Amino acid sequence: MHGFELIVSVASPRELEGTDLSPYDAVCLGSPYCRRVEGNYAEELDLLPGVVSLLHAAGKRAYVTTPAVPREADLPHVARLADAASDAGADALEIHNMGVLRIVREKGRRVAVHMGAYANVYTHLAAGVMRDAGAVRVRPNAEVSLEEMAILAREAGVEVEVLVHGKIPLGVTDRCFLLTEPEESDPKCPSACREVHWLTSRQWVLKTVGKGVLSGRDMCLLEHLPRLVADGFRVFRVEGLYETAEYRSEIGAVYRKALSRAFAGGEFAVEDRWADAARRHAPRGLCNGYSFGTAGRTYVGTVLQDANPEV
Amino acid sequence: MAELLASGGSMEMVRAAFDNGADAVYVGATGWSRRRAQYEMDDDAISEAARYARSAGRILRVAFNTLPASSEVPLFLARTDALRDAGVRDFILTDPGLMMALKNRHPDTILHASVGCTIINVQDALFYKEAGASQVVAECRMGKATMRRIKAEAGVGLEVLVHATTCYTLLGRCTMSSYTKQGHHVDERGKDHFPGSPNRGGLCYRICLSDWDQVGASGELEASGVVLPNRAYFLADDIPDLIDLGVDTIKIQGREYSVPLVGRMVRFYRDLIDACVRDRAGFRMDPWRERMARIVADRDVERREKTAGLISESLDR
Repeated sequence: MHGFELIVSVASPRELEGTDLSPYDAVCLGSPYCRRVEGNYAEELDLLPGVVSLLHAAGKRAYVTTPAVPREADLPHVARLADAASDAGADALEIHNMGVLRIVREKGRRVAVHMGAYANVYTHLAAGVMRDAGAVRVRPNAEVSLEEMAILAREAGVEVEVLVHGKIPLGVTDRCFLLTEPEESDPKCPSACREVHWLTSRQWVLKTVGKGVLSGRDMCLLEHLPRLVADGFRVFRVEGLYETAEYRSEIGAVYRKALSRAFAGGEFAVEDRWADAARRHAPRGLCNGYSFGTAGRTYVGTVLQDANPEV
Repeated sequence: MAELLASGGSMEMVRAAFDNGADAVYVGATGWSRRRAQYEMDDDAISEAARYARSAGRILRVAFNTLPASSEVPLFLARTDALRDAGVRDFILTDPGLMMALKNRHPDTILHASVGCTIINVQDALFYKEAGASQVVAECRMGKATMRRIKAEAGVGLEVLVHATTCYTLLGRCTMSSYTKQGHHVDERGKDHFPGSPNRGGLCYRICLSDWDQVGASGELEASGVVLPNRAYFLADDIPDLIDLGVDTIKIQGREYSVPLVGRMVRFYRDLIDACVRDRAGFRMDPWRERMARIVADRDVERREKTAGLISESLDR
């Protein structure tokens, strides 16, 4: 790969609408959290040919995610999803579950595989097992530090994707926290997760999206981009799920410029307007702690360390 | 007949579990299992426990079921080599890469895929079988239909946790604890215990069990005192069904509980399983409920005390 790749996640046509994709090289389509997300590209298979063509015409790569926790009853759909993504010409399938990895392998590896955030990749040996099963790229678990990721990339011979900005995935379940009735009959579904909901307790803030728990603070590696470049990372993601079009557009623009500058070498400094955008879109503050081996919610750095309104 | 697997958080607990009827006991290797170090065992203690198991004709299983750093793989191989030399053959692992490495190095080892693998469908079970596991632990909320399929199609043993208080999220796929607090404690062998990360070092601060408020986009309170669901699945009532289903291992957790309580729990499940197997047609659950309720009440008291302590420990001072 020449240069770098900047990816954004987009769950549905609703999230795609109004998002300026010009800063991005690739779009990961669909939500891994819930099959009932309205317009979920990972569920509405008829949408895939059109959106993949659209992205290709715009010079973008198109990846399609899969459910993070597919129960037995979900597997027939997942098998159809893998076929549909391949038939639509998607450039890769993002997989979080080992059973799904096995299904895709058994289908003859018709599409490249990227291991997603919930695949629990912690070691180069695990990445190697997934590589042998068809994975060409892995996104290590959020807890894996940058130092560990560099070892993993070197030893396993796979591309490593780094979350540079956005909510950190902290947990996933298969029962929606935002509903009081079964999801088939609760009138709040599927609208409940379109609204923003925070969980607060003591000194902690988390974001709930129903079947997923995300960090309250936004991961931000803006000031550390030169280090990422020096460490050899080339694939970066902005987490765009459950965010606004403005978020995806403006944060993407910041990272396109910042990464271009970091890859050009020479002096690198976080511009005020970049920092302002990062702060403006992070009402609960910024963090990057896992990257440096500390608790996820901490911020390590000297530029945006003040952007933490919580205790 | 289904094996009864019990917890061994200390040598005293290992003895109590075996003496009260456990067919097998699992212990955690210090720094490598899903509990903090005080409930794990060093190699000398594990060797002693293995000898005790062998003398009783039972099995000792050693958990290396955390997810380490890549740089710690040599430590894992050296430690499992030493334990194998001491006669240990049964291991519980989570990382598929470690599974393959250990199985390739020592084909005579017996590997079980831990609850941390989050095995939720038959294809998951087949994946971990290919990685070297001969038995898989069912995710705590797995339905019985999926268990049947795994038994029928996967060709691996199936282990089910009974009376485990499950996590709000799927166990093994949660980093809420380490998001709030994570440290580093490197022991004399060079193993990082990653305190605060249950996946990496075992200590979970259980922040999900704190009292939460749900707040909207503008900070408006939507609900107060929100409880993140954290229920127990597969109660004693399910045991007859699990036996009928052909489950290979019934596991009761509890390394953090007191030794007398673990002894009572093991004896209860031993008696219940034996009674059920002895007279399946005539087996009725009712006579067992009162004894079960007393155990559950005592267990919950111990658990609540531990949880309050863990949450307090996680707060910045």
